[in-house]
Amino acid sequence: MMVLSAERRASIRRTFGQVWADRLGRTGVVLLGATAIVALIGPILFPFDPKQVGTSASSILRAPNGQHWLGTDELGRDVFRATIEGARLSLVIGLLATAISIVIGSVVGISAGYRLGRLDTVLMRFTDFFLVLPAVPLIIVLAALFGQSTLMIIVVIGLTSWPATARIVRSQVLSLRERQFILRIRSLGATDVRIIRSHILWNVMPLIFANTVLVIAGAILAEATLAFLGLGDPVQVSWGTMLHFAFESGATGRGAWWYVLPPGIGIVMVVLGFILAGHTLDRILNPRLRNR
Amino acid sequence: MYQHSPSTMAPRLMVLLSGLILLVAACGSAAPSSSTAPTEAIAGSPAPSASAAAASSPTAAPAATPSNATLRVGWSSEPDTMNPLTTYSTEADEVLHLVYDTLLGYDLELKPKPELASAVETSPDGTILTYHLRPNAAWTDGKPVTSADVKYTFETIHKESLSQYSQWLTHLIRVATPDPATAIVTFDKPQAFNPGLVVPILPEHIWSAKSAKEIQSFANEQPVGSGPFKLAEWKKGESLTLERNDAFWGDPAIAAKIAYTLYSNEDVEAQALKGGDVDVLTEVPPTIWDGLTGADNVKAVSLPSWSFHHIGMNVSDAKGSKGNPLLKDTTIRQALGYALDRQQLVELALAGHGKAGSSIVPLGMTEWHWEPTAEQAMNANPDKAKQLLDAAGYVDRNGDGVRESQDGRPLEFRLIAIESTSVDVRAAQLFRDAAATVGIKLDLATLDENTLGSTVYNTDAPDWDLFVWGWDSGVPDPDYMLGVPLCSQIGNNNDVFYCDKAYDALYDQQATTMDSVARKALTDQMQQKFYEDAAYLVMWYQDKLQAYRTDTWTGWAEIPGGVVFNFPRENYLKVVPNQ
Amino acid sequence: MFRASYLARKLLGVLITLFAVAVFNFILFRVLPGDPIRLQARAGNMTPEAVQRLKEVYGLDQPLVVQFGLYLKNVFTGQFGTSFTYHRQVADILAERIVNTLILLAAATILVVGLGVALGVLAAVRRGSRVDGTTVVGALVFWSLPTFWVGLILVFVFGVYLHVLPVSGTSSPGLSRGSPFAGAIDLGRHLILPTITLALVDIGQFVLITRSSLVDVMTEDFMLTARAKGLSRRRVIWRHGVRNALLPIVTATALYVGLIIGGAIQVEAVFSWPGMGRLMYDAVLRRDYPILEASFFVFAMVMIAANFISDLLYQVLDPRVREA
Repeated sequence: MMVLSAERRASIRRTFGQVWADRLGRTGVVLLGATAIVALIGPILFPFDPKQVGTSASSILRAPNGQHWLGTDELGRDVFRATIEGARLSLVIGLLATAISIVIGSVVGISAGYRLGRLDTVLMRFTDFFLVLPAVPLIIVLAALFGQSTLMIIVVIGLTSWPATARIVRSQVLSLRERQFILRIRSLGATDVRIIRSHILWNVMPLIFANTVLVIAGAILAEATLAFLGLGDPVQVSWGTMLHFAFESGATGRGAWWYVLPPGIGIVMVVLGFILAGHTLDRILNPRLRNR
Repeated sequence: MYQHSPSTMAPRLMVLLSGLILLVAACGSAAPSSSTAPTEAIAGSPAPSASAAAASSPTAAPAATPSNATLRVGWSSEPDTMNPLTTYSTEADEVLHLVYDTLLGYDLELKPKPELASAVETSPDGTILTYHLRPNAAWTDGKPVTSADVKYTFETIHKESLSQYSQWLTHLIRVATPDPATAIVTFDKPQAFNPGLVVPILPEHIWSAKSAKEIQSFANEQPVGSGPFKLAEWKKGESLTLERNDAFWGDPAIAAKIAYTLYSNEDVEAQALKGGDVDVLTEVPPTIWDGLTGADNVKAVSLPSWSFHHIGMNVSDAKGSKGNPLLKDTTIRQALGYALDRQQLVELALAGHGKAGSSIVPLGMTEWHWEPTAEQAMNANPDKAKQLLDAAGYVDRNGDGVRESQDGRPLEFRLIAIESTSVDVRAAQLFRDAAATVGIKLDLATLDENTLGSTVYNTDAPDWDLFVWGWDSGVPDPDYMLGVPLCSQIGNNNDVFYCDKAYDALYDQQATTMDSVARKALTDQMQQKFYEDAAYLVMWYQDKLQAYRTDTWTGWAEIPGGVVFNFPRENYLKVVPNQ
Repeated sequence: MFRASYLARKLLGVLITLFAVAVFNFILFRVLPGDPIRLQARAGNMTPEAVQRLKEVYGLDQPLVVQFGLYLKNVFTGQFGTSFTYHRQVADILAERIVNTLILLAAATILVVGLGVALGVLAAVRRGSRVDGTTVVGALVFWSLPTFWVGLILVFVFGVYLHVLPVSGTSSPGLSRGSPFAGAIDLGRHLILPTITLALVDIGQFVLITRSSLVDVMTEDFMLTARAKGLSRRRVIWRHGVRNALLPIVTATALYVGLIIGGAIQVEAVFSWPGMGRLMYDAVLRRDYPILEASFFVFAMVMIAANFISDLLYQVLDPRVREA
């Protein structure tokens, strides 16, 4: 009756096994693993020093050569190293923003679904209101109003991407709360907090996780878009800011493909990794929701 | 736009400075004491008629006749409004300059020439200006241009303190109109600067019905002017088209139309020039300009610009100032100067298109520029910076890599730059790294240009430490730039709130010194003083980078300041299409 | 067709949401960004009279509550105030731009719906085949592309290297207005790359939704029955399958509208397309708050309308409602 932790571990392992068995899922996991390795180890092997600028105008936007495997940027810095460094920031922003979004979404979804009644009505009105706001314009407006530090960008993306999670979690909690085992535990006098913490939460976790994976993809895209539009933190190297500066400095017109392609490909790889993994997870955990 | 002086103020400055060409040799200041100065070019009566004659008979390309070709200009920012009394944009000034006339204009040598007024006389005491209007000048709605229009324009701007132009009409008393062709403008102080050079004359019969408040929100969608072109169409966010005004009082323009096309990206804009979609670009950023050199049928031009970009430091004494007080210590400012490698900035931020900066009088003003000796130069010498800081007791007391003052305050400052001005952002990054090597921490943030402008110019309570932007000085006289750091300019142009009585005294002295050798000695002294006080770190004097096609239109005069986006409008009138 | 009470309830919901968006907007823009007069005045000195005049022009001399009342009145009469940048009525500026955005969105939507449904059906019908696999993978890949980056690459492939298609604006510079036909051709050429960019990225999710809902429908009993009745496979798929699969597609409309609005902002920025998205982008760079506020409000209204319409369509299409 009570879900044991060994059992949970087994179920996690089983789920992962299923993802790995799926061709798309495996591709996604590989892409993510590769990116994680690059983001973790890359900067140690190929540290990027933003101060390591070129020496003269002739070292700007140089084509790839033995010294600079992916050429140089508009300050004569190494694009290869910058791209590796960029992986780190893009991932960090994506993960942290998602964490904010998931926490808010889960709290709102669980409290609404578990409590029902007035709280549910109010919370869902609120959620629907945010769902109906157009995401990209909202993020742009908030970023324009709150400034361009990395922290603000994380907060803004986190604050704007939770409503879908809240909705999904709520509907799952709704069905859980009427299940036999929950009803029985409650009749045994367990407190709400305890029920939520040790039963509801664990049972909605897989769903939240599958959703998380997709939210990260969205958050990384959102960061890149903001940065490209000039609303990123220009002092930090992320793939979005690299593309912003590439566009600003005319790298594309000069045919500097080595500056335009790597950050873009980086974004596509990571986002694709998350989407493939999320898509597969969703199918496994939630066979009826195949239209996601 | 590359030439980012904070472009919010660029137009204002450009116009202001253009006026100064007159004061150049002359008095250099609008101070009352200058009444004795000869305001030669325009003031003397023979001069204007002579130049009028020159202007009315075209010297170049006598065969050129009006064509039906369209001159296509590419720019990356569009006008804000067609109302000359509310615009802040350089692009609007460029267009309105062709739609409206000023009483006097500039020729290709940047010398004053008659425009709507065929002649002007200045009273011996410099307080009365008499403009003689052209009899054949007419508004595009058919009504003649008369002295009543001049009266309305000058008096309304003055009375309602409308627009940037009001600062040249501060001392206006009245405009008398003895007849439709004569406007007698009386001031209560001598006017060394002739406001006829900058104030666009507006049609009284259209504007006088509006209250000042209505003028403030008047978009002027269908401007009625008297200039060589009229507005045909403005597709906002896309293009603006001017067409030749056939009723223009002077020689008609050769181009039948001028089509300005807006590009959201300067790179795409450069490609459009290469591909033959446009004929000339108003401004090109350095790295993109490099990509244009050597393109077929394209000439990329690099012209002197008399502008500079600088790092400004908040030295405000205002009670409400929220700047870090440590910056009021000259030693720290000088150390920052020593830490900065200006040649590196030119190479990397400007891609080599400029010269390393030093004093506030740009290198382009050759005869006025003061250059520090190798001994005096505070540049690219981090060891010296460290020495200075060590000697003054700023050492790293807690081993975090940042020095602290004796009472433990860290040498950590905020640095702001305009997000869209990529050269400045790059420079700010390099500056931050340079400062770090001598133990000064700079926290870089970027803002949009409006916010930066209003942050910096928050005179009562400036809440910033350092910024990066630039001044655009447009004409080769030191007076304007030297006037920026005056105490009296706090609340106006003085962007660092520098105030030094000795400096001010020198300024007044040079403004009334007619002997150019003596004046040069004074201006050198001022430049050196301001350089050593290091409230500004002038980073570079950049070149004006533009480009035009050689196979579509010919006859571009490559004049200092640029082929377009410059004070003279002659190029627009005189370029000839290839058959 | 609908019960009046349902419609009334839905409409009330729409009104409440609109009101909430207005309040949200007011708080966001009036309370947060500091002193609009200082922003408006920009650099330099302003006389007290000039400041006062500006305050009157922007209604800022009133207390906050009165400002809010004025603001509501203005919003619901379509007045969004005066642009800081253009010194004109924001409503007029929006009116000029909205057509261009509609053209772009219409073109992209036709492409996305047409191609998306076709590909989705193709994949669903041949489920498990190579075609299906390729379509799904392709859809997932396109889904993960950043719109602006695709735009950049198309600009430089087709506009710069091949120089076959225009990459900026809606018409060629200096093109004298010839026949309307030539003008339309010119517009069409300018429309190609922005439309493709927008469609490429947004088509992915559409294909996936179509495919999976059709797959669901095809396993339902009535499909098998129809097939057993001897109807041709093609007829069964199109007459019964797609029609029933429309339901989830329609409910995804609101999602799609949100996506395409986000895409339009990026595409218009990259291609200098003079629409609402570009207006909003410029307004961000210039911190032109009245324009930002109004364009955000308009986008939110579009989303609300899309949700409302998809709710209604759901009612129309849902077989349980239809057959009852």
